[in-house]
Amino acid sequence: MTWDANLLWQFDMLILLMMVICAVAALSLKGLVSSAVVTGAYSFFTCLMWTHMMAVDVAFTEAAVGAAVSTVIIVATAQYINPWSKD
Amino acid sequence: MKPFARIILFLCAVMMLTATVDLPDWADPGSPASTHLSPGFIEQGYHETATPNVVTAVLADYRSYDTLFESVVVFAASLVVMLVLRRTSTGTSRIKHFRPKREGRDTILRGAAQSIIPVMQIFALYVLFHGHYSPGGGFQGGVIFGASFILLSLCYSLKFAMQRFKEKMVLICCACGALLYAGIGAVCLAMGWNFLGYAGLAGLLGVTDVMARSHGILAVEAGVGITVMAVMVSLYYDLASGGDMEEGL
Amino acid sequence: MIIDILVITMMITGLVFFTGTTVGIIRFPDFYTRVHAAGKGDTLSTVMFLGAMSLYILRDFSGESLLTFIKLILIVLYIFIASPTATHAIIDAGYEFRVPYWTRPSDKPSNEDDATDINKTMEDISI
Repeated sequence: MTWDANLLWQFDMLILLMMVICAVAALSLKGLVSSAVVTGAYSFFTCLMWTHMMAVDVAFTEAAVGAAVSTVIIVATAQYINPWSKD
Repeated sequence: MKPFARIILFLCAVMMLTATVDLPDWADPGSPASTHLSPGFIEQGYHETATPNVVTAVLADYRSYDTLFESVVVFAASLVVMLVLRRTSTGTSRIKHFRPKREGRDTILRGAAQSIIPVMQIFALYVLFHGHYSPGGGFQGGVIFGASFILLSLCYSLKFAMQRFKEKMVLICCACGALLYAGIGAVCLAMGWNFLGYAGLAGLLGVTDVMARSHGILAVEAGVGITVMAVMVSLYYDLASGGDMEEGL
Repeated sequence: MIIDILVITMMITGLVFFTGTTVGIIRFPDFYTRVHAAGKGDTLSTVMFLGAMSLYILRDFSGESLLTFIKLILIVLYIFIASPTATHAIIDAGYEFRVPYWTRPSDKPSNEDDATDINKTMEDISI
C-alpha cells in the first residue's frame, strides 16, 4: 500500500483542531456526564489520528479501550460524584 | 485555586511543546528508533516467529516481559479498585445524582442487545485469534469481549449480568489469564530455555522452533485476553454499583 | 458507468441527509426533537455513504473487493440496528429524567399543575 502522508495534511490539521476543541470542552463543560462523553469523543479523534499515522494496532486499542469502555466506566463513576461540588 | 491550576497547566504545556521540537520527525528513517532495532524486527521477524504482523511479534515475543507485567498491572488495578470499593450491601443505596427512577428496561434495548452481543463476542474471538495476521490481539479482543458483558449489564440490569458472569468467576478469570501467561514462561524455563522463550515449547508441541514461537504468541495473547476481559467486567461491576453489587448504571 | 452514477447519487443523497441532520440539531427547539433529527438523519446518511462505498469497491470485481464489500455491508447492518436503538435509549432516559419538552408559546399547556411541575423539574436538572 502506498500512502503519501503529506497529501492529507488538511485532514491532520482538522483532527488536531477537533482534539483541542474536545479537550477544552471536556474541561469547561458543567455536567460531569457531558464531560465524560466529550472525553470519549476526544478518544475517538485520537483513534482517527493514529489511523492516519498508519498505527492501526494502536488505533484499534484506542477505539476499544478509550472510546468505548473507559467512557462507560467514567460515566458509571460520575453518578456517585456530586456535580455541584467546588473544584 | 483556579488561576493557580491554570498557570501550572500552561507551564506544563509550554514545557511539553518545547520538548516536542527535539523529537525526530514522524516516520523519519534516520531516527535512532528506526536505525538499530526496527530493521532487525522487520527483516527477521517473520523468519523467526512466523507471524506476519510485526506488532504482535514484537509485543508478545520480543517484548514479552513488557506485556506480562502490563497484564499484571491491569490485574492489580482491578484488585485495588475492589479493595477500595467493595462492601457488603447495607440496604441503603448511595446518592446517585444522574439516575432517574425507573422500573425496568424496555424490549427494544433487550432485542438489540440480543442481536448485537453474540456478534460482538465472535468478533472479539476473531480479533484475538487473528492477531497474527491483522491488527488486534489479546488486549483488543479482551476489551471487546468485556464490553459485551458491559452491554448486557447496561441493557438488562447488573443483577442479570452477574447471574451470567458471577463475581467469583470474574476474579478467577482475572487471575487465570495472568497465570496462563506466566505459566507459559515457566514451561519454557522448565524445558531449558529462557523465561518466555517460546522455542522451548517446540519439544512439547512437536513442531519446529519457528512454529513454536508462533503458537506461544497465540497462547500468551489468549492469557492477556482473558485477564483484560475479566478486569474490564470487574471494574465495571465495582464502579457502576458503588461496591455493593446491588444496582448498576 | 452505471455504478459510478449510482455511487454519486447515493453520496449526494447522504450529504443532503447529513445537512438536514445538522440543521435539525441546530434549529430544533428542545432535546427530544434534536435527538430525533440526529438519530434518523445520521443513520440514513451513514447507511447511504457506506452503501456507496461498498458499491464503489465492487466496481473492479475480485475476491478481495468482495470481502471488503461484505465487511462494509456488515457495518451497515450494525449501524442500522445500533444507531436507532441508541437514539431510543437516549430519548427514553430523557423521558424518565423528565427533561422539559417544548410547546408552542401561543397555546400554553391548559393544566396549570403540569406547567409548574415542568418548571420545577427544569430547575432541578440544570446540571
